[in-house]
Amino acid sequence: MSSRAQPHPPDPLSVPPLSGGGSPIKREGELIARVNWSKLLGNAVRYFLLTIFLILFMVPVYGAIVTAFKSQAEVAAGGYWTLPTNLAAENFERVMDPEDGNLGLYLGNSLLLTIPASIFSIALGTLAGYALGKYRFRFDGLLFIFIVAGMFLPPQIALIPVFRLMNDIGLYDTLWAVIIIHTAFGIPICTLVMRNFFQVVPNALREAALIDGANEYSIFLRIMLPLTLPALAVLATLQFTWIWNDFLWPFILTQKADSRTIMVGILNLTGQYTVDWGGQAAASLIGSLPTLFIFVFFQRYFIRGLTLGAVKG
Amino acid sequence: MLRRHPWIIPASFLILPLLVYFTFVILPTLNSLYYSFTDWVGYGTDFNFVGTANFEKIFTDRLFSNAIKNTIIWLGLAMTVPTLLGLSFALALQGKSRINTAYKSLFYMPICLSPVIIGIIWVWLYSPKLGIVNIFLRSIGLDHIATAWLANPNTALYAVFVAWAWQQTGLNMVIFLAGLTSVPTPLVEAAKVDGANTWQTLSKVIIPMLRPATVVVLALTAISALKSFEIIWVMTMGGPFNKSDTLAVFMYSESFRKFKMGYGSSAAVVLFLVTLVIIVLYFRFAAAAEELYE
Amino acid sequence: MMNRRLILAVLVLLVAAFTVTPALSQDDLMGDFTVSHYFGGFGGEFIDGIVDDFIAANPGLMHAASPVDHEQFKTSILVQLAGGSPPDTFSYWAGARIQFIVDDGLLQPIDDIWEANDMDSQFPQAVIDTAATYDMHRYAVPLTLHWVGMFYNTALFEEVGAMVPTTWDELVGVAEKFKMAGIPAFALGSINRWPGQFWFDMILLRTAGNDYRNQLMSGEASYTDPEVVRAFGLWKELVDAGYFYPDANAYDWDEAANQVANGEAAMTLMGTWIGGLYAGNDLVPGEDFDYFSFPTIDEDTPRASLGPIDTFVVSADAANPDAAKAFLVYLTNPDVQWAFAEGAGNLAPSLLVDTMNYNDVVARIAGEIAADPVFAFNYDLATPPPVAEVGLNSFSEFMANPGDYEAMLDRVQADAAAEFAGME
Repeated sequence: MSSRAQPHPPDPLSVPPLSGGGSPIKREGELIARVNWSKLLGNAVRYFLLTIFLILFMVPVYGAIVTAFKSQAEVAAGGYWTLPTNLAAENFERVMDPEDGNLGLYLGNSLLLTIPASIFSIALGTLAGYALGKYRFRFDGLLFIFIVAGMFLPPQIALIPVFRLMNDIGLYDTLWAVIIIHTAFGIPICTLVMRNFFQVVPNALREAALIDGANEYSIFLRIMLPLTLPALAVLATLQFTWIWNDFLWPFILTQKADSRTIMVGILNLTGQYTVDWGGQAAASLIGSLPTLFIFVFFQRYFIRGLTLGAVKG
Repeated sequence: MLRRHPWIIPASFLILPLLVYFTFVILPTLNSLYYSFTDWVGYGTDFNFVGTANFEKIFTDRLFSNAIKNTIIWLGLAMTVPTLLGLSFALALQGKSRINTAYKSLFYMPICLSPVIIGIIWVWLYSPKLGIVNIFLRSIGLDHIATAWLANPNTALYAVFVAWAWQQTGLNMVIFLAGLTSVPTPLVEAAKVDGANTWQTLSKVIIPMLRPATVVVLALTAISALKSFEIIWVMTMGGPFNKSDTLAVFMYSESFRKFKMGYGSSAAVVLFLVTLVIIVLYFRFAAAAEELYE
Repeated sequence: MMNRRLILAVLVLLVAAFTVTPALSQDDLMGDFTVSHYFGGFGGEFIDGIVDDFIAANPGLMHAASPVDHEQFKTSILVQLAGGSPPDTFSYWAGARIQFIVDDGLLQPIDDIWEANDMDSQFPQAVIDTAATYDMHRYAVPLTLHWVGMFYNTALFEEVGAMVPTTWDELVGVAEKFKMAGIPAFALGSINRWPGQFWFDMILLRTAGNDYRNQLMSGEASYTDPEVVRAFGLWKELVDAGYFYPDANAYDWDEAANQVANGEAAMTLMGTWIGGLYAGNDLVPGEDFDYFSFPTIDEDTPRASLGPIDTFVVSADAANPDAAKAFLVYLTNPDVQWAFAEGAGNLAPSLLVDTMNYNDVVARIAGEIAADPVFAFNYDLATPPPVAEVGLNSFSEFMANPGDYEAMLDRVQADAAAEFAGME
């Protein structure tokens, strides 16, 4: 691919301009240079419309937050969008209580599942991505498509066979079953991102090391791996979010409370206490905290991950 | 260009990931493919090979055609509404300023939420009496529009779709924003110097340059629209009376509620084939889009 | 809340009492023991307490809790059965649902413990025949016996001067009275579909009767028969007249129950588990709420009671069948049966439970059941699960579009026939 029309080198990690990334279109300078009324008006209309949309977009979030701090009586009486009269932590206590919602246990389980599954899928994806990005061999293109196609499989297809498989190898109803399946289903996206990354790492680095007598594996470990840190960060945020948020696999592959994840726990809660909006809202907030944390602090990596696999597909 | 390598080294890198991928993704999928030719009920080992009977039956199944119809509606909406919204937001927010950064962050914040949680929250929004949607409609005098959005057979599918689009829009915006960085500034400025107005610049210069991003958005949206299951399941379970059944939901209900695993698997195969068509189209258009840059 | 605490305290005492009962412990029970159940709220706490107690009495056993909500249980148990890794014992609905999995060899008979403990003498013959026995073998130990009737807000009935109706015309009259007062007569929360079935069940039982209904449930009769058309026609009268709280499909059963408790609606056709819910809200049975049996429609149709029976069964693939069976024997203990019934609002199936214990409402319901010659299972437990899916959807559809129900019944019949054919 030539880069004539592209302002950036084809490094996949330089794609998005978000959150302070350098934008090639210098709007502010332009504005100061030729201020005119129609432009100002245009901007006013633009931000007015954007603000209306933003308010609409934030309504669900606002509702969840205020409801979490209300008693059920208050929800029923005052509806859903008024501010709580007194900030009650009661809903949070109830859903965290081991005798009640028991979300504390489920949060711990989700962490025990999400962290290793993220690490394993990224590790395997890095291996495959390196092989496909840095080596040419027979059928490498086909193999790449074969792996990436897994991204598009509707996971429900494999539900029952996976269940039987896990059962046969004695992992049913353990977090390991979910870890393995998320590792396996994470391989396509991780391979895709890492392969695209390795493709643009200059080949000269490798060849210089080869001439120095390094073997292929030490090149991978000593030279290539340290270079991949930004890509690994991108994948880590992405995989963490997806695995954390998943409901279907842990629901199918685990049964007892000791191996239940947060999303399954939350949905169970809503089934048992339909009218307990306050508890559901509190549980939703608790369950979203880790991914919101990632969103706030690792936003750039996260967004890059989302666009990466896609734009360079 | 890279030269060819002896296969042994790449193979040594590939062996572990391929083994895991094959065992836990490909094998179970093939297994399902096999079940789709049986009358397996979901448990026990007592089932028969029925050839293509499931596939013959499925195309005369009223509920299947209902699910296909809903899937097409869902897909059609998914390809347009969040795409246009995402594009509009991206165009409106492409400048680098604090306020733009804040707006962008808030618009794509829903991406990090679980479909389970989004479903739960939107169910309250749509609650007939206490939900904010109806409270708002009543407050502006539109009582006659207020309805039980998720229980009304005419609105359920669309109501769930809005919740889904709420999450999808931010993702599309992000991809369009990424695409906008590859629109060369000189080109835009040249157009302006030539006297093009904003709309002309947009339609003649920027939008055509966004073609690769658009292909990506459409393909990703299509695939995630076809896969979307959890949010529908949490909000309506496909109800009321199958009015919000999509292919993914149909497949799940046939397998797990009606105990027809073989039949459900054949729906899964159909779903996969539809997805496959989109993937092929995607690679086609993605390649074509890249050629634009050559 | 207070009330729930109180019940819990009573339970703790009961549990403490059980643990010193030597008969409950068997020295030879060892290994892991798994129980799965669909009870939420009170029932869930209770079963978990029972299991803990059972484990305490059998120190050789290890157990891990696994609470699942009612709707999700329907999927999760199937997946476990499918994978050949079911819990040792689990709760299941007596009737067609148990029959369905018995047909596939997924449960093991419990004739041995049934005979050894002389359970024939502990349960009414009708319950043994319908709930415990499948293909001539005993499979299930009944834990609850629920009954479906009209539960109403007594204060509201007084307010509008309504009398308890005993005939269809009187029912319509009462509903009309409430309509004049601006109150919907009937609350129905059918978001999860099943509550709608009780209307169809009761009207059909009061018109065509139980024998015809059995034929329909087993596929021998058709949904296009005049009997079914008439039942839907009567139901439609009530819907068309605007007697139902709007948007039934938007609410769950407990929301509908609360609409009645709050005075937003007058009554709801529901099972006795509503008593457990109301007890949790400090409502006094007989004072704050009361019940009446679904009114007679055709004088010459024999009366019938309707409801589900919850049971516990033993998986064919149980890893620890001995523990499972010991647990089932444990559940027949009259103290256990009574404690559950008291909290959940149902009748105890066991004959050994002293009926003097029941509150006024449940005691009268026990009389209704005893007086009716027939006890029928509700729709989704009376007809095989794939067919039940078709019917349950049609009840939701009917509540949304009552107008063209005859066309709908044509479709239901076609789909139901296909499901029956598919099960051959």
